[in-house]
Amino acid sequence: MKFTEELIDDLAAKLLIGLTKEENKLILSEFNIIDETMELITKIPNIKEVEPMTHTLDDFSYTPREDEIEESISIEDILANCDAYEGREVKVPKVVGGE
Amino acid sequence: MKTIKTIEELHQMLINKEITSDELVKDSLKKAHLLQTKCNAFVTILDDAKGKEVTEDLLSGIPYGIKDNYSTKGILSTGSSNTLKDYVPFFSATAVLNLEKHHVVPIGKTAMDEFGMGGSGTTAHTGNILNPWDTTRMAGGSSSGSAASVAAGVYPFALGSDTGDSIRKPAAFCGIVGYKPTYGMISRYGLFPFASSLDHCGCLTRSVKDAAIVVDAMKGIDKNDLTSWDSQDIHLFESLDGNVKGKKLFYIKEIVNLENYPDASLELKEHLNNFYHTLDYLKEEGVTIEEVSIEQNLINTIFSVYECLSCAEATSNMSNLTGIIFGPRGEGKGVNEMMKEHRTKGFSSLIKRRFVIGSYILQKENQERYFVNAQRVRRLIVDKMKELFKTYDGLIMPVSTGPAPYIDGSKDEITKDNTTNLEEHLQIGNFGGFPSITIPNGFINNLPVGINITGNCYDDANVLNIAYALESKMPYKNQVAPILKEDE
Amino acid sequence: MGKYKAVIGLEMHCEMQSNSKVFSSARNSYNDNPNANIRPLDMAFPGTLPTVNIECIRKSLLMALILNCQIPKYMYFDRKNYYYPDLPKGYQITQMHEPVGVNGHITIDVDGQSKEVLIHDIHLEEDSASLDHYSTISLIDYNRSGVPLLELVTEPCLASSKEAVAFLEYMRRVYQYANVSEADTKKGQIRCDVNVSIMDEDAKELGTKVEIKNVNSFANVATAIEYEIKRQSELKDAGRYDEVEQETRRFDEETGTTIRMRGKVDAIDYKYYVEPNIPKFKIENSWLEEIKKDIPILPRERKLNYQNNLGLSEYDANIIIKEKDYADYFEECVQLGIDPKVAANYLTGPIIAYLNKEGLTLKDFYLIPAYLKEITEEVAKGTISSKQAKDIFNKSLEEKLEPKNYLSDNKQISDEKELEEIINQILENNPSQITEYQNGKTNLFQYFVGQVMKETKGKANPNIVRDILNKKLN
Repeated sequence: MKFTEELIDDLAAKLLIGLTKEENKLILSEFNIIDETMELITKIPNIKEVEPMTHTLDDFSYTPREDEIEESISIEDILANCDAYEGREVKVPKVVGGE
Repeated sequence: MKTIKTIEELHQMLINKEITSDELVKDSLKKAHLLQTKCNAFVTILDDAKGKEVTEDLLSGIPYGIKDNYSTKGILSTGSSNTLKDYVPFFSATAVLNLEKHHVVPIGKTAMDEFGMGGSGTTAHTGNILNPWDTTRMAGGSSSGSAASVAAGVYPFALGSDTGDSIRKPAAFCGIVGYKPTYGMISRYGLFPFASSLDHCGCLTRSVKDAAIVVDAMKGIDKNDLTSWDSQDIHLFESLDGNVKGKKLFYIKEIVNLENYPDASLELKEHLNNFYHTLDYLKEEGVTIEEVSIEQNLINTIFSVYECLSCAEATSNMSNLTGIIFGPRGEGKGVNEMMKEHRTKGFSSLIKRRFVIGSYILQKENQERYFVNAQRVRRLIVDKMKELFKTYDGLIMPVSTGPAPYIDGSKDEITKDNTTNLEEHLQIGNFGGFPSITIPNGFINNLPVGINITGNCYDDANVLNIAYALESKMPYKNQVAPILKEDE
Repeated sequence: MGKYKAVIGLEMHCEMQSNSKVFSSARNSYNDNPNANIRPLDMAFPGTLPTVNIECIRKSLLMALILNCQIPKYMYFDRKNYYYPDLPKGYQITQMHEPVGVNGHITIDVDGQSKEVLIHDIHLEEDSASLDHYSTISLIDYNRSGVPLLELVTEPCLASSKEAVAFLEYMRRVYQYANVSEADTKKGQIRCDVNVSIMDEDAKELGTKVEIKNVNSFANVATAIEYEIKRQSELKDAGRYDEVEQETRRFDEETGTTIRMRGKVDAIDYKYYVEPNIPKFKIENSWLEEIKKDIPILPRERKLNYQNNLGLSEYDANIIIKEKDYADYFEECVQLGIDPKVAANYLTGPIIAYLNKEGLTLKDFYLIPAYLKEITEEVAKGTISSKQAKDIFNKSLEEKLEPKNYLSDNKQISDEKELEEIINQILENNPSQITEYQNGKTNLFQYFVGQVMKETKGKANPNIVRDILNKKLN
């Protein structure tokens, strides 16, 4: 069995999400459905030779932004929706360890 | 059938001073509150809304609704999620700013499936959104509140967003018009993202003409959205002439052939029969309609391709929802615990499940089999469509398997039965960024059903014109759900 | 120790200079007030989208060209997904599938020997916010969020800490020479990750690779590499090489050692995928040709030129190419006609000494090459002695006055006969002023003095001029 409860809990934990038992179970069954169809995809002839479609419109061209500065958002706006800050900075419990 | 005024008619009344913008707005607010008690369509109703100056502009002084996943300056914008339940942005989405130039008046922010994920209207943090034609039925999603409020006649139009069919399916279930233009015609800046490569802005209205007027006002290249493009030469409203003689449409045999559904319900049979019947109207106008066969295997993958791509992109897009800069702070000792509590509490079960799936799909060891293969099939499907669009002006298909389902049975789970293809084919429109419009084409069990036309990228005017011609042959234009009538 | 061969690879992150950030139009500067350079994207407010800065694309292409890299047809980006409080979007926009340059190489000098360093790739990405840690809390400043970064990844082709540092030093200069970055390590503009493995001299296969993250100075890079080589060698000597694990470590500045962060099994899966909000951008050949014109003469080429064509010693040449400012100053001097050796002596001697003493850079240095030339010219002509030259140099710096002001003191025109001739000419040309003066407009006296000074470019002795004028006019 490819998909297990442990795998699903681990995936969720890495997403910083907690799951209930029921949610875990539901994901298991949903996974199996998706996996079945993906099996169909691998059977499409020469599928590996198809270039993955990463952007919605092909042959799309755009002009990059000129290197010009726009005015900064005001500190009031920046912090208006923030539940914890000190001075001009956003406050969090002490961060330990690297990324 | 009760009908209600179009934007053009309202404009004429405003110009003739038969009614003022203030009166329109007041009436709209009253209806919004009434609808709220019946269908729960709003997150916010803007009671302070005032009429605006009426000018030559068709939209000036007209009230409208905004889906709650559009960022609106100074107005609560939740995306119907507890993660943003108190979030008041300091900037407005480009589409909203573009509309504001036309002096429209926002009446409310409409409830939706959380962040646009889901098609039932049952995952909003404010509760289920109900269908105004029958409140035991779902409104469809994710633009549920927008569809319900336009169908109930609160105002002539509301903004929606569409990642799989989130404008076009609720439009069908609520008996109105739902239109998503070509990807990038309307800027997505300020639209809370679900799956960036599939997300489209659009609108819900009660007529094709109104949809053209509204999108004309929303669209335009935006320096803040690199995927937007210059459409100043496209004038949707002006290009509607109803002349469709010589146009060619096709439908996909594998999806609409009744023989594919041996266990078909009566509703489904009636829906498909009604679809074929509707095609006759277009034929009478000189449109050629042909049945086209597409490889069944490819058709069968549509839904999984959609799930793979949308879940994966969503997982990443919603990683900014941690409660650090905005949204309610989670409890917890360390930063990680704090973020986790915010997310566990804030997201609905549906979203969490989709995130886990998306995350699995993107994992290094799984990415090739799921995500990259899905991107490959996406291209195969889009290429197939583009090839067909060389011959045909558009694809015409029934929306869903019939009218809106009962709300009780809805779980919005990933399931698969033999009607999945009929339920999910509108996602093709998102794969290719194709312009796609749903219009009402009848009633089954006294509930509205819809038909959809999808065309090639940038060919919006052509698609709308065909829809316009078809709409003119049927009696459903400007229809309104009779839900607010008895209380008036 | 010593019997093993070390194999070292570097990842060098360098912050790019630009007006605005790479994906937002906020000011690219983070030494301001906290959260003072913020556009909505920098804090990932819902609905915001990235827009690519063309100057950052240009500079990244310039670096790819300098490093002799292959350049892709299209420029696009990937998301690197992970959760950390300094990463507001929950992903970093970077380049994984198609870096702006791959398979490059650049030649550096290590102890007078040239060495070709192979470049795996160079890619454009964005920096994270900065965290300030206190006893129980951390504060987040998003000014740095979205600052453009170039990450340069070498092949594992360096053999010692000396080579590694020589490469980093050289690249720092290249960034400066190309005006791509200030590349100031003191400002934290350069950060490095280091990969180290060891192997037997004659072994064919690479040993186990250990990665050391976030080393912030070149001296620390050297210490970290040496520590790792020692640590791994000791384990190998003791027959415990299997304890060297493919892992990520961090450098501890206090002890000069490296400390384990996580092993291979705990490696973060960044779930890279193509950023759908930034369409593919076609890199036109014509544009590349234009960018090529901006490739500067690199420090190594300049050094060879100074040695081979201008007759400098390797020692002096090395000092001059250390900073682009030095090299530019020197070359401007040479262009103005100052003898290269004289210019080099001034630069490597009194000028650099003065800058160090005053804590200044050449940008703020008063004696621009043209002023320096005023001094060296006179020395060359023999009109002033080298001691006088030194005095003028110092006085000029002190009083912020052009050297010629001090030179003119030495060479005032006091010859009465010469001055009288000049004055006669001036009086002859101004008959009407003479009449006016003699009719009572006495302030015209100063006018005549001015004319003489003008004629003599300020060198006339004013007292003698007054005397002569007095005599002639009254």
